[in-house]
Amino acid sequence: MMETRALQEWINAIKSADTIDKIEEIRIAVFGKKGIMNAEFARMKDIPDTEKGTFAKELNIHKETLNALLSDRKLFLAMEHLSATMKSEAVDVSLFSPASARGSLHPVMETMDRIVEYFTAMNFAVHTGPMVEDDFHNFEALNLPKYHPARDMQDTFYFKDAKLLRTHTSPVQIRTMLSTKPPIRMIAPGSVFRRDYDITHTPMFHQVEGLVVEEEGKVSFANLKFILEDFLKTMFGEVDVRFRPSFFPFTEPSAEVDISCIFCAGAGCRVCSKTGWLEVLGCGIVDPNVFKAVGYENVSGYAFGLGVERFAMLIHRIGDLRSLFEGDVRLLEQFR
Amino acid sequence: MIVTKNWLNEWIDLSSVATEQLLKTFNAIGLEVDRHEVICVPVGVVVGFVEACEKHPDADKLNVCRVNVGGDVRQIVCGASNVRAGIHVAVATVGAQLPGGLIIKEAVLRGVDSYGMICSSKEIGLPSMGEGIMILDASIGELINGKNLSEYSAFNDDIIEIELTANRGDCLSVHGLARDLCAAFNKELREIKQNVEPEGRLGIGRILQLQHTETYDVELLYGAVDVKGLSVPLLVAFRMAILEENYSHAMDTLLKYATHSTGVILRAYSFDALEDTGNGKSLITLSKDSNGYAVLNGKTSLSVVGVSQNDEARFTLNEGLAIIEASYIPPEIIAKKMGERKVLSCPHYYHTSRGSEPSLNKGVQYVMGLFEKYTTSTIYGGHLELQSPRETRVVTMNEEEFESFIGMKIDKTTLTQILKNLGMLISKPKTSAFAISIPNFRHDIVNKQDIVEEIVRIVGIDNIPSKPFVFAERNQNTSDFDTYKKVRMYRHRAAQSGFYESVHFVFNERRVCERFGFVCTDEDKELLNPITATFDTLRPTLMVGLLNSASANGKVNQKKIALFESGMVFDHARSESKRIAFILSGACEGEKISNAGKSPTVDLNGFAQKISDIIGSFEMTPHIPKHTLAHPYICAKVILNGQEAGELFRLHPSIEEEFDLSSTFMCELEMDALPYGLIQAQPFSKYQASFRDLSLLIPKTLSYESIKSVIVKHASADVKRFYPVDRYVSEALGENISLSIRFMLQSEEKTLEEEEIMAAMEWILTGLREELGVNLR
Repeated sequence: MMETRALQEWINAIKSADTIDKIEEIRIAVFGKKGIMNAEFARMKDIPDTEKGTFAKELNIHKETLNALLSDRKLFLAMEHLSATMKSEAVDVSLFSPASARGSLHPVMETMDRIVEYFTAMNFAVHTGPMVEDDFHNFEALNLPKYHPARDMQDTFYFKDAKLLRTHTSPVQIRTMLSTKPPIRMIAPGSVFRRDYDITHTPMFHQVEGLVVEEEGKVSFANLKFILEDFLKTMFGEVDVRFRPSFFPFTEPSAEVDISCIFCAGAGCRVCSKTGWLEVLGCGIVDPNVFKAVGYENVSGYAFGLGVERFAMLIHRIGDLRSLFEGDVRLLEQFR
Repeated sequence: MIVTKNWLNEWIDLSSVATEQLLKTFNAIGLEVDRHEVICVPVGVVVGFVEACEKHPDADKLNVCRVNVGGDVRQIVCGASNVRAGIHVAVATVGAQLPGGLIIKEAVLRGVDSYGMICSSKEIGLPSMGEGIMILDASIGELINGKNLSEYSAFNDDIIEIELTANRGDCLSVHGLARDLCAAFNKELREIKQNVEPEGRLGIGRILQLQHTETYDVELLYGAVDVKGLSVPLLVAFRMAILEENYSHAMDTLLKYATHSTGVILRAYSFDALEDTGNGKSLITLSKDSNGYAVLNGKTSLSVVGVSQNDEARFTLNEGLAIIEASYIPPEIIAKKMGERKVLSCPHYYHTSRGSEPSLNKGVQYVMGLFEKYTTSTIYGGHLELQSPRETRVVTMNEEEFESFIGMKIDKTTLTQILKNLGMLISKPKTSAFAISIPNFRHDIVNKQDIVEEIVRIVGIDNIPSKPFVFAERNQNTSDFDTYKKVRMYRHRAAQSGFYESVHFVFNERRVCERFGFVCTDEDKELLNPITATFDTLRPTLMVGLLNSASANGKVNQKKIALFESGMVFDHARSESKRIAFILSGACEGEKISNAGKSPTVDLNGFAQKISDIIGSFEMTPHIPKHTLAHPYICAKVILNGQEAGELFRLHPSIEEEFDLSSTFMCELEMDALPYGLIQAQPFSKYQASFRDLSLLIPKTLSYESIKSVIVKHASADVKRFYPVDRYVSEALGENISLSIRFMLQSEEKTLEEEEIMAAMEWILTGLREELGVNLR
């Protein structure tokens, strides 16, 4: 019979083993071919038959005890080893806070994207056209004959061959009307050019213009109000929208559209020149002379146009118009 | 257009209208208020009468005045050169606080006590009216010594500046604005009373004759006045100062004032400038000049109607016989003429080309009223007139049309009232139709929509309901939208890959572009009126703009500069094409712990990798660019799906230096060459792939491009892919280098046997050996 003292020593040895290697040594010493367990079982043959049962039973109990102890200790040491390893791998995560290496979209182009998204969701088609235009598409067809005083409103870049850089995206509407038939429901996003360069004007800027043409009597000012109010609330959030009668040669009646100042909520501040309102849009019912110029009869329609830079500057609180064209990383990186 | 509330009040009763309400109404009816300023003279500034004025005993430039300020005469020292005894002046009494914050106190000036200050207009917060103190006269109301100036309406007023749209010439006068306000407030216009001509006046017909064969669409009206005691009353001078108009001569000032008030174009001729007929009458002749303009002549030329006046014919004296002329020419006629044949014009042209007031009598009456009230002139009776036959425009429309345009029903009574208030005549509405006669001062109203506009602005757009438009649904995808989406996708990818989107003007400097070897717009198609010399041509490339921006960023010490732009460029014939371009300069990542604060600088590999993250895998082949921006030996054509898409290069070191940039790479691609659309899946082999490397010894001068083409020629169908993986350069190899190429072999039908792989590799090697003389290392 295995001596109690010897058993206790093995138990102590397992409990005090402090490496997995040591556990392995003990396992071999106990359960290996030449280990003590085999030696104990070998003694079976010398034990009287009557005691054999008891002996074997006890030996099996010891075997299981030692086995369980070994694997427990091994698991414990493995865990301990792992946590020590992990501890040694510790990093000061606060040193590694990443700065994104992503670039960004330009605030004007991103604003243009949002505008296009709104109108395409409203089932408007997108049309684009050339930047180098002729007098007919940019002026004549839009009820701006050569001597019209309203031409003063738009200082134009001309080329030596009498072509010009479009002063608005309205010529795209003319081109679309000439190449398709009503009904029309379109927007024209793009760059436009005016010969003006100061703190509030750049020679190039971006516009989105819209046009809806339907049968005569179908399109009313009330329809124009609906879509523009909804559009402006989508772009600027909950603002008040105000329509002021105005004048554009290509629409009649015409209106300018203001939103309540998003900086002072209408109380009056520097940005809104103390008026509480910000002018953001021009719109109106299409002038019959425009339809005449493209050969449309018995139709009605509305049109609107907006400057994308103005929207972007208001929405993103950008103070300096010219900074939008300088490619300055210090501005652009804020839009990541 | 600048006006004041009290000035308007001459034509419309605004006594019950608060200024806020007035401003709001202007805006609501389409007359946008650009500026509002309150004029208010501070309390304690009173009317004073200078009873005596003597030189200061101790100072050359000072005067000691005795000023009656109502029940009390005060001694006041005054430094103005125009102070004298017998005039009424504005006196800031002791205790008054002036707009600059100055509080008037008793003072001793060079030993003389002074109890107050005689003020200039500017000192009491009014517009500047020239040098010296402001001399008061009865034009502002009865002058009562000691009365606060702020109690006079002229000095307690609101200045309102209206931003007029180009179609509203009829509102270029105080009278015109008042007329529009009448419609908005539903009030009557106060017409200036016709003066009953006193008996016994000499008739104008005795001295003046008008000669013409045709009318040339012109309307003319003449009055005559024998001018005496001409001066500009304070009220007129003050209001002209509000307009910031400077007129050298009293006659000019009165006429300009009358024009601003009534909208009628007024001129004065010296009687001597007319042609003497010998029978005691002088003659004005209307004819057409060589440019086709209607002109008036006397001894010499007098004026071009609606355009300009000959300076020599002007009345510039303070006494003598003056002929006052009111003229009208329809704006569309004169604007067209000017568009076709531009001639020199005077400030009145702005007004005539936008529509001056055609009721000429109003203007002449008004100016004669001024002569009568403020001068001792004698006015001639009657007037001489030339009228052009003009048809009254009539627009007919019915009630339903109003509703369909506006989207709201407006009842007939309201419609009728609004139109009447706007000066339109409506023939008795039969059934639902209106026949609307347009008054001749509204040249801008010609069709139904113009009438609707009038209704809309008076009703107020804010009172129109919003209604969604009901339309038939329809697929609105256009090819333009597809292009837009494609560009948007590449922009998003570029941003994701670390580039900042930038937007540049489409203008470049021709000199710079040509120096870099770019071809600019043909001379005969070039910009005629560029805004600056540095923006004098259309850009032939996006790269110059990016380069300038990168340089500007470098100058503010930006270490990593990564920009892109998608936009149009123009070829020599000005044809537009869409491109996307990139620039990456300096560090390729931020400074951080992991790179010990030293970011590696951008290199070809890193840059090309970023570009391929955006546009997909591409091949680079040797390239000699047409421009001089590129490093001659680090420059590639970008080949996408076998098609040339653009170029990628390192910037030429001398250009890097010129633009203050460190190592810089650029890439410009044609948008059309970039793929966009749906991807179709290809069948792929289910069997294991094998990899084999070939290490070749090749001459330094042999390009991988040529090796590649030989491999392609000799590769079996099982060679799915191959790519260079190592390049070894060593002195021991002499003029050669070692290049390792990795091959991936895979069959569609089975796992390849070693012998099959060997055979495929051997076949490639044989090809290389035979065609290029290249061997294994």
